[in-house]
Amino acid sequence: MRAQLLLQQIKKRGVTHVVGLPDNGSRALFEALWSDNEIEVVAVTREGEAFAIASGLYLGGSRPLVIIQNTGLFETGDAYRGTAYNMGIPLVMILGYRGLKTMLPGSPRVDSAATFLEPTLKAWDIPYSIMMEDHDVEPMIDAAFEKAASTSMPAAVLLGVDTV
Amino acid sequence: MLDKYSCLRKLAEYRRENDIVVSTMSCAAPWAALANGPLDFASVDSAMGHAADFAYGLALAQPERRVIVLNGDGSTLMCLGTLVTVAQRPAANFTLVITENGTYEVTGNQPVPGAGTVDFAAMARGAGLDKVYTLSSEEEFDDHLALHFNIEGPAVFVWKIATATEPVPKPDRPIRERAHRLRACLIS
Repeated sequence: MRAQLLLQQIKKRGVTHVVGLPDNGSRALFEALWSDNEIEVVAVTREGEAFAIASGLYLGGSRPLVIIQNTGLFETGDAYRGTAYNMGIPLVMILGYRGLKTMLPGSPRVDSAATFLEPTLKAWDIPYSIMMEDHDVEPMIDAAFEKAASTSMPAAVLLGVDTV
Repeated sequence: MLDKYSCLRKLAEYRRENDIVVSTMSCAAPWAALANGPLDFASVDSAMGHAADFAYGLALAQPERRVIVLNGDGSTLMCLGTLVTVAQRPAANFTLVITENGTYEVTGNQPVPGAGTVDFAAMARGAGLDKVYTLSSEEEFDDHLALHFNIEGPAVFVWKIATATEPVPKPDRPIRERAHRLRACLIS
């Protein structure tokens, strides 16, 4: 998935800050963000911080976006619940779907980071869609922002393939 | 040793109308008794350990306002990485207060891990923060009171406070309402 395409859509939505932690899937997107230098990137040490910082940013009038991997999402449990969820923050998050391919038939090993993800999102009441191709980017990013705005609650877009 | 209630009273008296104060745990109820407007946000019914990073987000979004967070020692230990996050992207208007009493006060004063041995000021400095002050006496506190508001941050003040017996705080409105009241005030 082209990182520049994602960056273009993020900019189109007026994002002021990306708060997150890169992984292999989002690496190219973070590199594009740093090179472009229009959106401020706030790098966190652990993913729970991302939801707290993004919630503060939103309440302060900014328009943050969170980008973390699924493994990091699992760590955020209480931070997500206590900040973005309890505060009713219309926050969009892009989540790396590590291990998605390992769930395909014939895979010698299944990554539990992948098998835990969608059940966790459902349990945590986070609506989501999965981007697999370039043509998914615009409609899914748009839909996530519109869902978050209409519900005043977080919404997710999953990165099913690596950015390049 | 400092008296928390006296420190908070002095902070409330000095505080300017545009400053944001985020409180949590054993400071939340005493602060609300002193100041409870839209810019006084109690990080309660939220996530323990995430008042400081939440307040830091506010500080990034509102660079023209001072943002002071009244954090506990147990809360600070829960998210130590925030010291590094704040240091690597400094916010000049951000002041972190660590109220150190060595206990989880609102659950009955059970000891915090490392109580009496952990050096919060050293950890903050080690994270890359250089404006770090440890205050142990009323005279020291009075001398540094204005600095909480006026220093070019990020700044960390470790208040060595006496143990007290605050119960679990119970804010007067739900967190979602408090959050959106804060936002409405900030973007108006």
